[in-house]
Amino acid sequence: MKRSTQYGLLVAILICTPPLVAAAKIGQAAPDFTATASNGKTFRLSDYRGQYMVLEWHNNGCPYVGKHYKSGNMQRLQKQWTARSVVWFTIISSAPGQQGYVTASEENKYLAKMQAAPTAALLDPTGEIGHLYDAKTSPQMVVINPQGILIYDGAIDDKPTTDLSDIDGATNYVNLALEQAMVGKQVETPSTRPYGCSVKYSGSTH
Amino acid sequence: MRGIDSSRRFSPALTFGVALVLYAAAVQGAESPIPHGTVELIAENRWITPGHGFSLGLHFQLEKGWHIYWINPGDSGEPPRVTWQLPPGFRSGVAEWPAPRRLVNSSIVDFGYEDAVTLIVPVHPQTSLAGQPLAQLGLEVRVLVCREMCIPGRTQLSLALPIKSRPPAADMRHRDLFAAARKDLPRRAPQNWKFSVDDAKDSFVLAANPGPQITQAIFFPLVEAQIDNSAPQTLQPRATGFRLTLRKSDRLLKPIDRLKGVLVLSGNHAYLIDAPVGKRGAQKNNAGNGTHEIKSLREGQQK
Repeated sequence: MKRSTQYGLLVAILICTPPLVAAAKIGQAAPDFTATASNGKTFRLSDYRGQYMVLEWHNNGCPYVGKHYKSGNMQRLQKQWTARSVVWFTIISSAPGQQGYVTASEENKYLAKMQAAPTAALLDPTGEIGHLYDAKTSPQMVVINPQGILIYDGAIDDKPTTDLSDIDGATNYVNLALEQAMVGKQVETPSTRPYGCSVKYSGSTH
Repeated sequence: MRGIDSSRRFSPALTFGVALVLYAAAVQGAESPIPHGTVELIAENRWITPGHGFSLGLHFQLEKGWHIYWINPGDSGEPPRVTWQLPPGFRSGVAEWPAPRRLVNSSIVDFGYEDAVTLIVPVHPQTSLAGQPLAQLGLEVRVLVCREMCIPGRTQLSLALPIKSRPPAADMRHRDLFAAARKDLPRRAPQNWKFSVDDAKDSFVLAANPGPQITQAIFFPLVEAQIDNSAPQTLQPRATGFRLTLRKSDRLLKPIDRLKGVLVLSGNHAYLIDAPVGKRGAQKNNAGNGTHEIKSLREGQQK
């Protein structure tokens, strides 16, 4: 298993640039993208090579997202990891007219109200970034290492509920991935089923 | 005219009638609200006979467009969860889940139920329930109800059933509901269908020989992250059966020994599948290691 993963890595490095439509895969290069943030700035993923990165799919009306914001859990993670030079992008892939779609100023108000502290909140109304990473739910979490390799993709933790009381005692997969990778260990759980509300891409019917 | 009607409402006979209805509602449990729907706890039998297992039903009714989830919810969502509060001498069994539907939403595919569904839960009372005229069976249901939005709901249900030392008797009011729910439960596939699953690099190929009439087949995986829920499932009818190609999930990082789930064939016939996964072309070596049925979905999922 380990051997084939390494071989996969080698192949990924040799091929170097995956085609634009290739969805993200564990152990392979994280697909690059450029996006406009709610603060008006433009961010390009590949500009942050050399740093760990976290992508967090977001929808402010989803009760699973609410669980992690009302409890302050998400904000705590954002502050804790950005303080350690991790780049944290909150990504909103709801299409205009779909539930969870926000304008830049609406998102800025939400960030201020929740005292959220990501590096930036990226607006993805076309769903391009969401589809690139095959994001299914909010929240869905992705961790990328300084070499630009995707090292975690899936749920925020192992308690797929909307209960705030389930946060204490849950195993947080983002923390695990970052902690293990930062001390040079193999990420033990690189992929889990993400839990939450479905991402409301354009063309969503329910 | 209306005045006469309303004065009649207070006639002693009618008051008695209303009281009877209220009493019946209290004994039989009533519909409890959940977001955009209701849930009701119903009993298949009119009373509890000590030592005789019986079934309770959790009957969900949903407003148009809203859905709840199967035991494996698919790409998003969460199945209903139940916490029982049973009196001493009672034990609840494993819930039986009717076959779900594919709920397709852009590139996201969930598994669940729209409109209405009844989950059946067996309950086992002890032989000795000495001196108790009535048993109060309670439970808490937590359920996620979704359309564009997902709304979590939580409700308390309870049902008082008399205990009698007479043979069990069906409650005719719920007979149709239980019969309909049982019809939708996945059943064991006939042994001679010979299910097999081949590991074919990027996909699993599920094959069986139920005869040539299979024109429709949908597989619902019991375990998350084994197959790609949103990938099309390709059916190839064959002379004696069919082959169904299921794309593997990108999240499947290790080989699996068995593929478990529910297969729904033409005519909405649902079957429990638990088949060993063999390498392509090597399925003949699996002859002694054939399909075995799981007794219930929950059991299969935990294995």
